[in-house]
Amino acid sequence: MRGLFRYALRRLGFYLLAAWGAITLNFFLPRMMPGDPVSTLFGRFEGRMNPAALDRLQELLGYGEGNIFSQYVEYLQSLFHGELGTSIAYFPEPVSEVIQSGMAWTLLLAGTAVLISFLIGSLLGALAAWNRGGKLDNWAPAIFALIGAFPYFWLAMLASYLFAFQLEWFPIRHAYGANVEPGWTWAFVDSVVSHLFLPALTMVLASLAGWMLMMRSTMIQVLGQESISYARARGISERRVFLHYAVRNAILPSLTSFGMALGFVVSGALLTEIIFSYPGEGYLLIQAVQAQDYPLLQGLFLAITLSVLAANYLVDLLTAVFDPRTRS
Amino acid sequence: MLTNGCVDPAEQAPPGTLVVSQEQAASWSRNFNPLLPSGTARWAATACIYEPLLIFNTVTQEWVPRLAEEFHWVEEGTVLALKIRAGVKWSDGTPFTTQDVLYTFSLLQEVPLLDSSDVWSFIEAIEPQADNWIHFRFKRPYVPGLAHIGHQLIVPKHIYSKVDHPETFSNPNPVGTGPFTEILKFDQQVWDLGRNPHYWQEGKPKVEALRFPAFADNDQANVALIRGEVDWAGNFVPAIDRIYVERDPIHHHYWFPLISSTIFLYANTQQEILGDPNVRKALSYAIDRERVTRVGMYNYTEAASPTGLSMAHRKWIDRSLEASTDWTQHHPDRAIELLEQAGLKRDAKGRWREANGDLFSLELTVPAGWSDWVRSCQVMVQGFRDLGIDVRLVTRDFSAWLHAVQHGDFDLAMGWSQSGVTPYEFFKGLMSTETVQPVGKRSGSNWHRYGHPAADALLTAFESISDPAEQSALMNQLQHLFAQEAPAIPLFPGPAWGAYNDRRFTGFPNAENPYAVLSPNRPPESLLVLTELEPR
Repeated sequence: MRGLFRYALRRLGFYLLAAWGAITLNFFLPRMMPGDPVSTLFGRFEGRMNPAALDRLQELLGYGEGNIFSQYVEYLQSLFHGELGTSIAYFPEPVSEVIQSGMAWTLLLAGTAVLISFLIGSLLGALAAWNRGGKLDNWAPAIFALIGAFPYFWLAMLASYLFAFQLEWFPIRHAYGANVEPGWTWAFVDSVVSHLFLPALTMVLASLAGWMLMMRSTMIQVLGQESISYARARGISERRVFLHYAVRNAILPSLTSFGMALGFVVSGALLTEIIFSYPGEGYLLIQAVQAQDYPLLQGLFLAITLSVLAANYLVDLLTAVFDPRTRS
Repeated sequence: MLTNGCVDPAEQAPPGTLVVSQEQAASWSRNFNPLLPSGTARWAATACIYEPLLIFNTVTQEWVPRLAEEFHWVEEGTVLALKIRAGVKWSDGTPFTTQDVLYTFSLLQEVPLLDSSDVWSFIEAIEPQADNWIHFRFKRPYVPGLAHIGHQLIVPKHIYSKVDHPETFSNPNPVGTGPFTEILKFDQQVWDLGRNPHYWQEGKPKVEALRFPAFADNDQANVALIRGEVDWAGNFVPAIDRIYVERDPIHHHYWFPLISSTIFLYANTQQEILGDPNVRKALSYAIDRERVTRVGMYNYTEAASPTGLSMAHRKWIDRSLEASTDWTQHHPDRAIELLEQAGLKRDAKGRWREANGDLFSLELTVPAGWSDWVRSCQVMVQGFRDLGIDVRLVTRDFSAWLHAVQHGDFDLAMGWSQSGVTPYEFFKGLMSTETVQPVGKRSGSNWHRYGHPAADALLTAFESISDPAEQSALMNQLQHLFAQEAPAIPLFPGPAWGAYNDRRFTGFPNAENPYAVLSPNRPPESLLVLTELEPR
């Protein structure tokens, strides 16, 4: 147990260092982009904004004063106080509020899709490997790989056009109906689920093949190990061998990828959000890039980086718990 | 096959609620401060919650009184008198008075960020008079100042005076004098705005509420428009006759009057060769504008006037000049002639070379993804190449493009021009030495960096004259100067996008009933439309 604790602490130090690196990159990268945010804002007003107003705006947004180093120190200080600055694209809203606004929907959409895709994909992969050469093993990987090979936006647009625009089986946009009051009512939950179905389905279809193939290949390796033969020789039921001996061992590598995928959920699903007009972080990200909204960009990157690091850290710990060899 | 006009009941707006598509956003932010730089507050703040003193109706070319009942010049160009309307109430029931107007202008003076049209650059003092009159005394004669003062949106003193930082105030629960002020609900993806219970125009508005669904991009907005879910839209629709009108010719309509500012091809006049008016005119002669508007702009517009003016300024256009000059027509022969006059020579391969033998080579820059402009540029580049002029098309991200044109870091660029009630701002941005910045310094207008002393003199004279005939004479001279010097190459007047579905509401302006501009993209003129609409 002490070894595990020390390992956890050591990894924490490493992740803190990684976080600092990411935060620093986060500061410098947007500033290397061509153009500058005040010009972009200025241009949006077609030059009608007066110069004094522009100077004031620059001041409010924290540009133009000090060299890049003092800006960096200021940036670190405000980060420490949890201040992410004022968004340019959503002026005068604070970045933290802008990010918050779409977070719940992003977690719902991307989180649901990743979870379902991981569960179904891994199960199918395990079954395919278990019944090697069976119908599932022959057909499913090919079909899902084919679907996954289509460009995602094409798949999503096709689904939107067919099932939402033409057949009208599903709503064409948004996370819930325009006439539904948000709240814990049956009508609202029903509306959210029916709005979630099509966008989540396209995301699951696009990523299913990856999980399935990964699980299938590790499962085949695991099934070839002597422990499985030993379990069978002991007369343990096939069902128990499958679940407790094969799947449990084979799922470990997938679990690592799942942790990373969960971390990336925070970045949202840009194309899905655009095609289905679904609120979330992905669209914020592209908007921040277009408007050169440095504070918003940095806030989003920070959220993504930290959640990826946190997810990785958790997976590291989980793996250490399952597999003591990794601790040394 | 297509289920026409059938809208999912869960999405259908209630009767009397007008669905508007003007801004595009993945999710709404609740900002109703109309004084913040444009594009930050919601459209409604500048279009129907707050009102200006006067509205200039671009279509009828008249001033429409709003919070001011009348106005006149006490001293021509230097003292403007406005009579503030009596009997108006804010939407919370507080009476609206001259104090609110005085407060708004003093706020702009205190917080320059909010002074978007820079009124304090020419106002010296504001003096309340008896009987609700207010005198605006100017530092110098400045007739165009009328538009800046008239269009200023007025905010309530009893609310704003209690706000500590009006420059970061998002005004989540607005109190205005406009026809729609009550926020009925506000979600990230849709919000509803109800009527002002105290609106000063008796019996108006007839529409009960406005609804704003969030569309992430133009395609989403168009899908909703086509499906009949939107009643009034200001977004760009490609091939609108085929994709929108044909689906329901009885109810689906559009009207794109050419009253937005003229779109130009700017040549950087700080470069030696492009500094020669003959070269700029040669480039103009090489452009087939009919083809540009057909291929690039879906025939939504037409070739620009040689005066550069769009239909927003049609009463100013010097028709005799228009008839006597051909520099904006397609004449490849004239182009060749002028290039030769400018000292350029063609080599054996037919390419133009400068006097020192260098290849005459230009880069035309356009924002990436602006598909109508990119296509227009492709047509122009084809025309230039056919004449042996080496022009390359370069697309850049919007902000990089903007940085380049504002800092004078380009050869040729497609771009917009300045708009205004009179062509004063337009010509000032095209030819005034005051607006010229050195290359490398940011400039909001006059990207091509051209100034002419004669233009300065005419513009200064215009600032102190309010007589229409004299104004017109000055503008004619400016147009002659423009056509003679060719500071920039006009391509086509910009259309004002507006489409509507009259299945549920009537009273939209159109070509047959042009009482105001249909496009919602030109607040505060939208006020003129919103008070006329009626549910069926």
